[in-house]
Amino acid sequence: MATTMARPAAVRQPAARRTLGARLRRTGVRNAVLFVGLGIFTVWTLFPILWIVSTSLKPDRDLYRKVSLLPSRITNAHYVEVLRETPFPTYFRNSFLVASATTVIAMVVAVLAAYAMTRLSFRGRGFVARATIVTYLIPPALLFIPLFQVAQQMPFTGQAAGLVVIYLIFAVPFSTWLAISYFNTIPSDLEDAAMVDGASRLRSLFTIFVPLALPALAVIALFTFTHAWNEFLFALLLIGRDSQKTVPIGLHEFVNGDVFAWGPLMAGSLIASLPPVLIYVLAQKWVVSGLGGGAIKG
Amino acid sequence: MAAIPGTERRPALLRTATPRSAVSRLLGRDWRIAWLFLLPLLLVLVGLVTYPFIAGIWLSLQRKVVGEPAAWVGLQNYRELLVGEQYAGTFWNSVRVSLTYTATAIAVKLLLGMAMALMLNERFRGQTLMRAVLFLPWAMPTIIVALTWRWIYDGSVAGLINFVRVEYFGQEELVQFLADPKLALWSVVTVAIWQGTPFFTMMFLAAMQAIPGEQYEAAALDGANVFRRFADITLPSLAPAITITALLSTIWTANSINFVFALTRGGPVNATMTFPMLAYEVGIAGARQLGLAAAVSVLFFPVFIVAIYILTKRMLSTEGRA
Repeated sequence: MATTMARPAAVRQPAARRTLGARLRRTGVRNAVLFVGLGIFTVWTLFPILWIVSTSLKPDRDLYRKVSLLPSRITNAHYVEVLRETPFPTYFRNSFLVASATTVIAMVVAVLAAYAMTRLSFRGRGFVARATIVTYLIPPALLFIPLFQVAQQMPFTGQAAGLVVIYLIFAVPFSTWLAISYFNTIPSDLEDAAMVDGASRLRSLFTIFVPLALPALAVIALFTFTHAWNEFLFALLLIGRDSQKTVPIGLHEFVNGDVFAWGPLMAGSLIASLPPVLIYVLAQKWVVSGLGGGAIKG
Repeated sequence: MAAIPGTERRPALLRTATPRSAVSRLLGRDWRIAWLFLLPLLLVLVGLVTYPFIAGIWLSLQRKVVGEPAAWVGLQNYRELLVGEQYAGTFWNSVRVSLTYTATAIAVKLLLGMAMALMLNERFRGQTLMRAVLFLPWAMPTIIVALTWRWIYDGSVAGLINFVRVEYFGQEELVQFLADPKLALWSVVTVAIWQGTPFFTMMFLAAMQAIPGEQYEAAALDGANVFRRFADITLPSLAPAITITALLSTIWTANSINFVFALTRGGPVNATMTFPMLAYEVGIAGARQLGLAAAVSVLFFPVFIVAIYILTKRMLSTEGRA
């Protein structure tokens, strides 16, 4: 009991002095500024999200005829419609498969490459590291015209599976770069001991490195998944048939039809936002502290 | 054991104890297994990035319409974009729009992101929850963000902003946020700011947490006020993070097509025609002139080379720190 009482105080003291407004703390000015500032930011951040929620739960009458901010009564009709009467479940499944496959392939490629670049001695290491970063930074907008042309001759085009190949453009350099950063923090004596034991390189990779870097690798995987889940442009360019569409293009077409079905659209949007948002809430701790260096999202 | 690929490389490892062969001296001790492990990465870098990149430059030198054979035209496409009768106006308009769009979005995201990070770096009750809430836009799929704002901007009284104006502020006139050429670009920029600010906040917050507290204590003892401490300690310490974040975001913001595509498709009268949108309209949607569209992208590339060069240097120098 005594320790639990003592600890927060001990921690809070230095931390409190560290912050910018520490001196204003007792004056109340700091609190007022924080309260107003964060209040404005919260409203600014949340109103579109609440509008999605509100729209998705309103009967059509509240949406178009007698408009209201909040639902006059809550209905699940839009959710039923989007799940039963549209191909949304198919889109969702396609997105899930594409994002999962992209993530798995990218992680394997990244772990192998990052191991080579942090633990093996060979000429050309610097060049490959530089090429990886440059590739990560090259914006896909510069590539989509030629890729569109190339993809038209490929066997996979038009199928969701073809998107996996395209998504590796972002996923592989990104995960490789982050994996290099994490592998660099793993002390090398661990591995030297394993070498004496006669473990092979590949075994040391999977028995020592991967388990040690597992939390980090999980975070990288979550980001890769989210990126593939959210991708729009290439899916739009390469997918035509309904059965192969992913969620972003599927939802976008809800709007381009003749009828603007905002209710089902917002219901679908809410469902489609859940995976990345949940992933992000779970990984939030590492987002701020761990992923410095700027390699976060494309 | 023997079934595990890579084990056959073991003799190469044992050889390190003995004098190295000429090949190993030249290529490095583990060159065989290293390049084997790098092979998948190299396939992606070469096959999916380098090849299309070169193919794009090649394509920009051809007259190529989808479904028809290509014809070599040299720099004709570039001439058409820069000084040609049909396209020059549109192209230079897209330069102006891209510049306004990117510069405004980056400047506002930087200011808002800094303000948010400074507040979130303070200690208060509910800090973790607050962070989670303010970071939400960043986690949402861009296309869903765009569609939601399209609904918020709706030009009828059903749109959120117009509804609030009419219902609570007594305005009569409905504002056409996306159809009015004077408002459309700012409406799209606003959406980019809404979603992009948390990334800046996150990067600044991470950098702020790395500043040693003693610096603030010393400054406080010297009687420096909040603003002095921000200018003398926080800002200089954040300089590298500001550079990296702004450059990364510049590349992404300028090249993203999603917001424009879903909100306005470049209209009204090209008021929001950023260059990726122009490339799409020229190459994919309308005339299907792939060569001309490729030239649009290639013309913009030099702008990003500078950003990519600086970022690559910075990221390589921070490599060890994770």
